[in-house]
Amino acid sequence: MANQTPAVVMDNGTGFSKLGFAGNDSPSFVFPTAIATKGGAAGSHAGSGSGRPSVANKPSFLTGGAGPGGHLSAKRGTEDLDFFIGDEALAASGGPGYGLHYPIRHGQIEDWDHMERFWSNSIFKYLRVEPEDHYFLLTEPPLNPPENRENTAEIFFESFNCAGMYIAVQAVLALAASWTSAKVTDRSLTGTVIDSGDGVTHVIPVAEGYVIGSSIKSIPIAGRDITYFVQSLLRDRGEPDSSLKTASEIKEEHCYVCPDIVKEFAKYDRDRSRFAKHVVRHPNGREVSVDVGYERFLAPEIFFNPEIYSSDFLTPLPNVVDNVIQQSPIDVRRGLYKNIVLSGGSTLYKDFGRRLQRDIKHLVDTRIKASEVRSGGARSGGLDVQVITHKRQRHGPWFGGSLLGQTPEFRSYCHTKQEYQEYGPSIVRRFALLGGPGGS
Amino acid sequence: MLLLDYQNVLIESVLKERFAQDAPPASIDQTVSDFDGVTFHISTPETKTKILLSIQIRCFRDLVQHGAEQVLQREYGDYVTSTEPGYDFSVLIDVEGITGEKEERDALALKFALLKRNAMAAPFEAAYQEYYQLKEEASKFTSEEAPKGVLEGGQVKAIHYREEEAIYVKASHDRVTVIFSTIFREETDRVFGKVFIQEFVDARRRAIQNAPQVLFRNDPPLELQGVPGIKTTDGEKVGYVTFVLFPRHLTPQRMEDVISHIQTFRDYFHYHIKASKAYIHSRMRKRTADFLQVLRRARPENEEKERKTASGRTFKVQGS
Amino acid sequence: MSQSLRPYLQAVRSSLTAALTLSNFASQTAERHNVPEIEAQTSPEVVLTPLTISRNENERVLIEPSINSVRISIKIKQADEIEHILVHKFTRFLTQRAESFFILRRKPIKGYDISFLITNFHTEEMLKHKLVDFIIQFMEEVDKEISEMKLFVGGTVPLLARAEVNRLQLNARARFVAESFLTPVSRAVAACPAMS
Repeated sequence: MANQTPAVVMDNGTGFSKLGFAGNDSPSFVFPTAIATKGGAAGSHAGSGSGRPSVANKPSFLTGGAGPGGHLSAKRGTEDLDFFIGDEALAASGGPGYGLHYPIRHGQIEDWDHMERFWSNSIFKYLRVEPEDHYFLLTEPPLNPPENRENTAEIFFESFNCAGMYIAVQAVLALAASWTSAKVTDRSLTGTVIDSGDGVTHVIPVAEGYVIGSSIKSIPIAGRDITYFVQSLLRDRGEPDSSLKTASEIKEEHCYVCPDIVKEFAKYDRDRSRFAKHVVRHPNGREVSVDVGYERFLAPEIFFNPEIYSSDFLTPLPNVVDNVIQQSPIDVRRGLYKNIVLSGGSTLYKDFGRRLQRDIKHLVDTRIKASEVRSGGARSGGLDVQVITHKRQRHGPWFGGSLLGQTPEFRSYCHTKQEYQEYGPSIVRRFALLGGPGGS
Repeated sequence: MLLLDYQNVLIESVLKERFAQDAPPASIDQTVSDFDGVTFHISTPETKTKILLSIQIRCFRDLVQHGAEQVLQREYGDYVTSTEPGYDFSVLIDVEGITGEKEERDALALKFALLKRNAMAAPFEAAYQEYYQLKEEASKFTSEEAPKGVLEGGQVKAIHYREEEAIYVKASHDRVTVIFSTIFREETDRVFGKVFIQEFVDARRRAIQNAPQVLFRNDPPLELQGVPGIKTTDGEKVGYVTFVLFPRHLTPQRMEDVISHIQTFRDYFHYHIKASKAYIHSRMRKRTADFLQVLRRARPENEEKERKTASGRTFKVQGS
Repeated sequence: MSQSLRPYLQAVRSSLTAALTLSNFASQTAERHNVPEIEAQTSPEVVLTPLTISRNENERVLIEPSINSVRISIKIKQADEIEHILVHKFTRFLTQRAESFFILRRKPIKGYDISFLITNFHTEEMLKHKLVDFIIQFMEEVDKEISEMKLFVGGTVPLLARAEVNRLQLNARARFVAESFLTPVSRAVAACPAMS
């Protein structure tokens, strides 16, 4: 076809979904992965049965139909169309009658009913595409069970009749996204991905496009914790506004990573101009000014010195990265050190990459020196540590997907509807490695 | 969500944001798809304050034949600019030139978001005009002595808006007929579609007396005889959905809404087929979970039995 | 419950209970193998006569017993192509999840919509009568849904296979969808009656 429709790239994360078309440099839509449905809020029914259409739930239907809730659309079995997703869901759940649900937990889809409807609305209302005309690139977290892939394929091929689909691991896409950085010379899919979102931070080693599942580590410190930390500092000082929203704004606008906290404290004390002011505008037009002090560099510091924030998790991020790489097979470690890629909103602080690189380098050099001493005179050639920072970090996996989805060979990697019908859902257990060796 | 929007949500939201008062200038470069293989390109090629919005429609040549250029010229007037290469139509919006209150700005954003709708509207508008003309002429004759041209009505306007599907619009002196040719690539969709179509056909008889008449058949309807490109031997896969708009739907006041609405028919139809499948999926999931529950009951509980050895000591055995 | 359904289910229940007398039986053709004889079909002497229980030409159950395994195949009623599609979709959905269903066969026997295979290992670790209950309830679900549908549509519903239930749902849905689409167009009359 002379005129190919662009592939649709969907990255559904625990907190936010990133939707858009391949070839663009940013997602068209970024909104919470939330769905507001008519009826009870989450948790009113047990497990995956929560909030399903009441017809499918016999006891509640029998009572519900007789009750005042039996309005016209409920009688016609269309209440499954009455829902909102994304920001509209958050708005609707504020009002009466709607309950809010998050179909993805810890990166994995928990509630397929809600997810199916979430997808349906994403496609028809927001992206406005006929799925029969488009190929889809979806993402999944590392260690996603293959059954989940099959369920996804079942929905996309049977409900939506999509033309073809590819499911990629988020970490691999994040690696691909780093190809835009000037520092990256060879487009390899080997590297360590540090993916820090809102809820959790993962360190994922990837060798030749395949995730080394056994060495993945996650750290319970991420964006939300930094926000809480900023908030607690504001409260300690008794600032006039210490709401979560303000804390998060301060985090996003003022925070950076310093090379050394002690020196940084001294610098602040010498130079008062480093203290910033943050103006909070209330909806009623009132303006409140909040002082921003040491939290500018202290907040991101909890990655490097977790003891200042948490009492149960004490390993600094550089050590975690180092451990992860040390636990990976010896033949890929050099590649993993050489290509440490950042992804996700909580890695955007200024100089985050530089500090991480310095600290990891320091750990590695110490170890090499120690082993040189032990071996009695042998010299090591040294080890290259490089942390890649790039412009597309925030939506790294999405951007990687957009990059790969626009390549002319993308479609040949997808499984098509015909293939699905011939082999059944198990076909999606395997995908040829997109962008890997032999690809282009 | 029941009905589909007429406008492109993304374009609307991007423009709204950029049109807002004291919005910080930002560069945009996005390719956006819409239904029926329409592609938009929204960009700021020269400066951040000048937004270029281009559209590419598969059937643009068909649309031009039926006066799309005039319609777009009427709608977008001064904004029209030289067409971006690779696209069919472009408008250039200077953000700095926009004045007015928030409502006006938002209305302007919406107007540009309706670009696809307006382009597609041309043949329908032409049919409306033709209908008014024919009605005028027909009123001069009684039905027996009317000249052939008036009785037969206007030319069939074909819009090949998708690769295998087309919309045909035909005006006569007492009605406008809109025919959608639809194709189902899958058996399930075809069967579901049939149920849905049947309800469209019946709706007039049963509930909404004022609704346009809807007809459905697998072979090309009479109106399309002699129109090039119509295959007659495709069997059940192809269907023709005919909407007959009667004078009461054809008032100038209602024109805009009816045109917007009828355009979305195909996507609306397919959306609901898919939504129903999603619904059936969720029923099946529930039912499957129920069955599993029943089956699980067949497994005896793992109870711990206490046993005694000969010496009197006790130990526990996991039930099998 | 319809007149013929109860005896039908009763017949299936008793035949199935009788057939579920299974014992461990090693393969006679391959050493150290233990396979469901009904599937292997290698020793005719341990495969018993299959029996069919029919309610009518569209609904029947095939029970194929053998010494260590029983195969049960169910044909679900399909009156028209919509029911056919729905039954097909539903059975496919189930077999897709055969892993967790233990006794569900991934492929139905030719001429039937869904098959179960119960071996002696299943009867050893699961309660036999509960397994029978499961099969019966599986067939019976139909009735439950119908009573639900009676409420739903507000009238008497022909007593049919479970697929019918979905179909009526679909009809109601289709009707609603069609009307919602046509209403905005027909509202023209109310807006300006003078023109019509």
